[in-house]
Amino acid sequence: MKADYDVVVVGSGPGGATTAKFASEAGLRVLLLDKRQELGAPVQCSGAVSRHALLENEVLISDEFIQEAIYGFSIYHSSGENIQTDYRLLKPEEYGNAEGRVPLGYVVDRRRFDRYLMTQAERHGVEVLLKAEALDMQIESGLAILKVRHFNEELNIRCSVVVAADGLQSQVGKWAGLQTHIKFTELASCLQFVTDGVEADGLLEIITGHKWAPGGYAWVFPKGHGYTEIGLGVICSMTPHNAQQHLDQFLKNSFMKERFKNAKILEVQGGGVPLSHPLRTQYANNLILVGDAARQVNPITGGGIHTALTAGRIAGKFLAQHLQNSSDFSAQSMSQYQDLWMAVNGKKMWELYEIKSSIFRMDNIEERDQALYKTMSEYFSPNSPFKKI
Amino acid sequence: MAKSEPVLFSISWNACIQCGVCVAICPQEKSFISHFDTIAVDRPCEIACMICENICPVSAIDHSPAPAFNYTFKPEQT
Repeated sequence: MKADYDVVVVGSGPGGATTAKFASEAGLRVLLLDKRQELGAPVQCSGAVSRHALLENEVLISDEFIQEAIYGFSIYHSSGENIQTDYRLLKPEEYGNAEGRVPLGYVVDRRRFDRYLMTQAERHGVEVLLKAEALDMQIESGLAILKVRHFNEELNIRCSVVVAADGLQSQVGKWAGLQTHIKFTELASCLQFVTDGVEADGLLEIITGHKWAPGGYAWVFPKGHGYTEIGLGVICSMTPHNAQQHLDQFLKNSFMKERFKNAKILEVQGGGVPLSHPLRTQYANNLILVGDAARQVNPITGGGIHTALTAGRIAGKFLAQHLQNSSDFSAQSMSQYQDLWMAVNGKKMWELYEIKSSIFRMDNIEERDQALYKTMSEYFSPNSPFKKI
Repeated sequence: MAKSEPVLFSISWNACIQCGVCVAICPQEKSFISHFDTIAVDRPCEIACMICENICPVSAIDHSPAPAFNYTFKPEQT
């Protein structure tokens, strides 16, 4: 039996599109599937990503997806006390919007960003099918058979390796019998409004504190064109209220309420952020998992774009190298991907998970608030002991 | 609160923001998904742990007791 493709990637988010691009660039025959009609929509993400994350993963920076340039952070305690780190002031020779200066990061429009990454993959030879939903995966004679519904047509696609980049709701890993379940205490329920009428100035503002966002944090991010994104994520085992009620409370009653009083809601967006450890097993026979599907999310910040791009680069390069030298697609051979990923990102993510868990194990709310504020401030400080991921 | 009897979920499609959190948290081993990326609404849930209802950011999920004729429904075993 002959394979139709070397690699089929399920899901064209940052992780999937990046995997596809690197694999195809190195000469593999790659098919990239996404069930959506418009990538990145409905938006389930705040869109903050560092410039370093893009450069490191060879994403050319383009106005096509950038909504706002970011120059630093402002981390708040629940009381309103805050620590600000503005790289325009710290390193004015490097960061800023003047000629020769660069931003620290960006807030991107996920609809445009995901489409851009898919376009780059296509330009590197990847075939793409939209409105193509993976329904089932079987292994036959050492090859993966992926059953796909493309519009109204059912396809059976044979390939050497399937890459499950199907996001938070990942099903492909489940089909392979992997333990993909997230604990109720580790999935943040998030809601955000894109607003008009709220000032912001090039900083990612993070508001910690049980009072505003139990188990998570609230955020105020500039969103381009004078718009601002206000949102929060909560852990539902820590509150009887839903994210919507917490966001309402934050808008109306927090120390920022004066600033929010003229807020007009332009978009309503929500999503889930896994604040868990990465999956212990991110591979199976003829299968690897990338990005949110593998819970490769920073458990302190909830950031998942950088981690998905990096995993995609590692996965794409691994597949290219492996498939060109071997016809063994067994779980054991696929495990090399996880080893590579662990060395670059995984170990760090496990450490961050331990730190996050130790904070949320504290019963005393004041102590927990203080610990989260301190950790978050340290994470984003210029002298951070943490390697940014 | 977890229920001892199977339930049938319903979604307020107007409130739903298609965030996918209900599907992500669902402990069912087999896919338990609707065509609109929410938990399934066309078959009873025997686990009835109700965490999908609890975690929904906009409380778009509700449930009723599953119809009696469905009580013997068992998800297909693999």
